[in-house]
Amino acid sequence: MAGNFWQSSHHQQWLLDKQDLVRERQHDLSILQEDEYQKIFIFFASVIQTLGEQLKLRQQVIATATVYFKRFYAKNSLKCIDPLLLAPTCIFLASKVEEFGVISNSRLITTCQTVIKNKFSYAYTQEFPYRTNHILECEFYLLENLDCCLIVYQPYRPLLQLVQDIGQEDQLLTLAWRIVNDSLRTDVSLLYPPYQIAIGCLQIACVILQKDHKAWFAELNVDIERIQEIARYIINLFELWKTYDEKKEIQGLLNKMPKPKPAPQR
Amino acid sequence: MTSLMMDYEFKMKTQNERVKVEDLFDYEGCKVGRGTYGHVYKGRRKDGSDSRDYALKQIEGTGLSMSACREIALLRELKHPNVINLIRVFLSHNDRKVWLLFDFAEHDLWHIIKFHRAAKANKKPVMVPKGMVKSLLYQILDGIHYLHSNWVLHRDLKPANILVMGEGPERGRVKIADMGFARLFNAPLKPLADLDPVVVTFWYRAPELLLGARHYTKAIDIWAIGCIFAELLTSEPIFHCRQEDIKTSNPYHHDQLDRIFNVMGFPLEKDWEDIKKMPEHPTLMKDFKKNSYMNCSLVKYMDRHKIKPDSKAFHLLQKLLLMDPNKRITSEQAMQDAYFSEDPLPTQDVFAGCPIPYPKREFLTDDDQEEKAENKQRQNQQQQQQQQQQQQQQQQQSQQQQQQQQQQQQQQNQQQQQQASNGDNHGNPAKRVRLSGTTHPGQAIPISQQQEFHQQQMMYNSGSQQQQNFQQRF
Ligand SMILES: Nc1ncnc2c1ncn2[C@@H]1O[C@H](COP(=O)(O)OP(=O)(O)OP(=O)(O)O)[C@@H](O)[C@H]1O
Ligand SMILES: [Mg+2]
Repeated sequence: MAGNFWQSSHHQQWLLDKQDLVRERQHDLSILQEDEYQKIFIFFASVIQTLGEQLKLRQQVIATATVYFKRFYAKNSLKCIDPLLLAPTCIFLASKVEEFGVISNSRLITTCQTVIKNKFSYAYTQEFPYRTNHILECEFYLLENLDCCLIVYQPYRPLLQLVQDIGQEDQLLTLAWRIVNDSLRTDVSLLYPPYQIAIGCLQIACVILQKDHKAWFAELNVDIERIQEIARYIINLFELWKTYDEKKEIQGLLNKMPKPKPAPQR
Repeated sequence: MTSLMMDYEFKMKTQNERVKVEDLFDYEGCKVGRGTYGHVYKGRRKDGSDSRDYALKQIEGTGLSMSACREIALLRELKHPNVINLIRVFLSHNDRKVWLLFDFAEHDLWHIIKFHRAAKANKKPVMVPKGMVKSLLYQILDGIHYLHSNWVLHRDLKPANILVMGEGPERGRVKIADMGFARLFNAPLKPLADLDPVVVTFWYRAPELLLGARHYTKAIDIWAIGCIFAELLTSEPIFHCRQEDIKTSNPYHHDQLDRIFNVMGFPLEKDWEDIKKMPEHPTLMKDFKKNSYMNCSLVKYMDRHKIKPDSKAFHLLQKLLLMDPNKRITSEQAMQDAYFSEDPLPTQDVFAGCPIPYPKREFLTDDDQEEKAENKQRQNQQQQQQQQQQQQQQQQQSQQQQQQQQQQQQQQNQQQQQQASNGDNHGNPAKRVRLSGTTHPGQAIPISQQQEFHQQQMMYNSGSQQQQNFQQRF
């Protein structure tokens, strides 16, 4: 579907409005501060990234899984499904869509268990609590909430083209690529088309590396204001990281996070 | 504290909003198709808000298999008049079944060609507009061009997957279906066998695949279209081949290659320079002598079927069926071909407003009966295979080609006699077959998959049975 972003469900259905996001998050933001809310999503983006790397998935698959995760909570409160269950479910679904071959159920669960135990013990003291049947049930809910839109366009491909156009610079590509990965910890994938995100990330990379490509950027036929907005999101993330110690704070945040409620007792 | 996975209120809310396929549609007892990946039913809306027919495909097995995911993911994005339109997906949480809702297509090329063969055998002419084959081909190319320009490969083109709309607003329009096997090819591809232990039927397989090509390409879809075009022109599968020894993960398939060479002639080095680079080239050199195919050519084959070598149809066919994938024509070029600007011009309604001579889809009997019938046919077939093996041994002893042909003829006659009593079967002629040897190492096959494998084996057997029936009718 590479040639057809404009007709895609991503473009037609899943470029959301800032206002819509604010409205949908009202419930969660009555419990969590805005930065706390973002910190929770930063954390689960890392969980997805680590799971994906552990399962040796391509970055494209990991990014798609992360976008599924963000899309689900763009429409639902954090309490609807425990994000610790939704995260591996997104990985599971994305790997099938991106044709990485089906990850076996047992391998997925084992990987969740070891990753949570070895890499995220600072957040979870208990063992990973879910089993295959939970993931499978959750997968149906995920698919429904995604409205069966499974093909997600990512900034990586446009980024490759842009860097090639500037004149193959390995250092620039490596850094911009990492910034695209970082951008998954912001809302940009819900708000902007991937080629704009690629340009925004590239621009930040140029600033960091002190490369002057102003003339080249000026020739791109894009809405500069939108690119600046994207850059702003990412720079805000970098600012947040400067003073944020996830290891210390995350347990408190996960406790505070709205949680699924059982059936009312009679 | 055990964590609760899902919020009760959320669960109830989604459950109440969820529409069940059986609440919306009547389809019971209306099964019209049975494929590798599912059962297809003809359905009507229960509330009568419209009286159109719909096709409901219940995907084989439970949950979201990779092919179900692919079909949903791709069809959700694709929109073209010649590609089947996915209207909606139903997820049935209780039995974990996945249902896909499509527009109903009354016809498909497998049934259409079958009808023509039967008519030919009975010497009863079928009245169809002169340009029908041309219109069909044009729309197939149009749909494939759309897929290819969106970086989607179909990978399983065959007559059964080319649907044609019946009476209604889209009368006589081609719809390419069955995207379960399709894949995006913009990403670096994984080798075929690593990914999905399913192969396309061999009759429509391009020679490079049979020689071990590791990747699917647009050219592979084009070859299949060439095969379908030839079959439309002659009512006979051009690379028809018996398919018994299919149960290997090896793409190399001696008999299928032999059949292709018997029609096309053996590829000369100047025609296909890179053939030397094919993984199975050494095997090819070992197994085949090019002299055996000295008298074979597509010109002769088509001439025998009354398609003149100087016709525009033949010229286009030749370009679609080039052995060298790099030289094969693209869908875009093919649509520009002179064949389509010559009278009669292709029409949007392939039936060009004429009455549709083909019967409507029949409802299939329930599984039980199908299976019994298949079992019976299987027994018969085993007997035949034994006979064939004996005869093949005899054949090897004799060197003279003519004698071989005589024996084959005999063999066919015997089969025909045996099968005359077998009755008809609604399955498709050539099925995908799931290969046995390609599960991931260290991964046990769950029971449900074993059953699936078993079922597919049976379908495969009934499939090849069908091919023999096919010969008989011809
Ligand atoms: N939209 C439709 N309208 C009418 N009949 C249909 C429709 N889609 C499919 N069918 C019928 O059902 C059969 C099986 O459908 P389909 O090819 O989609 O399934 P499959 O399991 O993927 O098959 P295959 O064995 O070709 O892989 C078709 O060959 C056709 O006869
Ligand atoms: Mg089919």
